Amino acid sequence: MGQAGLGGRTAQGRGPVSSVWTGEGPTRRRKSDRLRISIVVVILLLLEFYLRPSLIQGRGMPDFLLLALWILCLRLPPGWAAVVGLVVGATIDILSPARFGANMIAHVLLGFTAAWGRAVFFADHVIVNAGLFFVGTWLRNIMVLALSGAALGTLTAEALVWGPVQGLTTALVGTVIVILFRDWLAIRVER
Amino acid sequence: MRDFGGRDSVGRDLPLLVACLTVALLCYALPRTWSSALVTGIRRTALSPVVALRARAERDRTSRFTLEAIEAARDSLALRLQGDSVLVHENAELRALIGLGTRLRSRWVPAEVLHQVTPTDARMLLMNAGRNVGVAVHDPVVTPEGLLGVIWEAGPRASTVMSWRHPDFRVSAYTDSGSVLGIVGPLVVGSRGQAILELRGVALRDTVPTGATVFTTGLGGVYPRGIPIGRVIDAEIDPLGYERLYRIAPFANPGAISHAIVLLAPSDSGWVKPDSAGAPPRAVDP
Repeated sequence: MGQAGLGGRTAQGRGPVSSVWTGEGPTRRRKSDRLRISIVVVILLLLEFYLRPSLIQGRGMPDFLLLALWILCLRLPPGWAAVVGLVVGATIDILSPARFGANMIAHVLLGFTAAWGRAVFFADHVIVNAGLFFVGTWLRNIMVLALSGAALGTLTAEALVWGPVQGLTTALVGTVIVILFRDWLAIRVER
Repeated sequence: MRDFGGRDSVGRDLPLLVACLTVALLCYALPRTWSSALVTGIRRTALSPVVALRARAERDRTSRFTLEAIEAARDSLALRLQGDSVLVHENAELRALIGLGTRLRSRWVPAEVLHQVTPTDARMLLMNAGRNVGVAVHDPVVTPEGLLGVIWEAGPRASTVMSWRHPDFRVSAYTDSGSVLGIVGPLVVGSRGQAILELRGVALRDTVPTGATVFTTGLGGVYPRGIPIGRVIDAEIDPLGYERLYRIAPFANPGAISHAIVLLAPSDSGWVKPDSAGAPPRAVDP
């Protein structure tokens, strides 16, 4: 849901105040929003660690953990997005330790960049989110492989075939989740 | 840079980014022994519910989708065992005739492979069998098709496998004719980055026909002798002209397997001497 679609409310008799972020004033996220986003993240973690592996496995499957990172990064300041990226990268490194630390570096950089880009450039739009999911997943895969010391042929295959495939599936699933939970994931602020 | 509250957040965000990057780079630069200890510790404590959940998911998927295949494989094995029982009996008689002791039987444990959707998944695999069932570092890991890899690190309840796709993987090998020895290592070929194996160190005078099967030699003390590795699909001359190189299509696919077998190191408890009463020797399998 775009920011323009969010409703306004009245505060202290000064007329309708939009809950859309205007770039001014001391504001913070509502507790109910944090709870809803937490529920979405928990659902994504369950999808990643139980539902998907219990149904299907193979290359190119959507990465729900990365999706959770993107959803959080779009709603956090860049510094905290880097912290979340560090945690997500550490989790992946511990569960699939090709080169310990490679995922941490990649996810910190991408988390920070996504949050910073969201604060400066991106619009809160489904298509933009899908593009971010696709490009972010693709870049993550290439960075992790490069940091893991993969051969040039493997890197090329990842860049041309498997990276785009996983980026596409992640973007598709991410778009469905963003649409399904659009009311929960909408960015609102409390003034 | 301004956050959703409109505050200038550069002062807060950059230190956090630098701190996170520093931690990540420190982890990246850690020696393998230290990082292994760290990974094992976190996997045993904070992430143990995640590993248990993944193992449960793998079991559910197996029971849901591959039960029929497992039943078919079990039936095939039962038929084959019936045919092999005569050979086993003959072998025991011949060994007794020439005074050979009982053949050591390898101990093994089954394990489920917990795949991740990361691009490096096929190089290092996580399995839900650890030191609690006797798995140790350098234990070979096989599938019904052939050699998969070797245990890289063993935690209390989970372990990491270095598969044959890892750049550091090496195994001493011979061909089914028994006349050609070499070292097998991974190789990436083609524009699609297809991962295969390569038999190196073969003398120029030796030739291996296409289609020959390659087995482990047992040299080096890690892999037992006779585990199938793959089939020769192509040959080429070393650019420097010192050796022949053979490309091998591996039998085991690390990206597709869901179960594997860890061959445990032989130990004194792994076999029992024949007793004086003439009872047949038996292996003690876990």
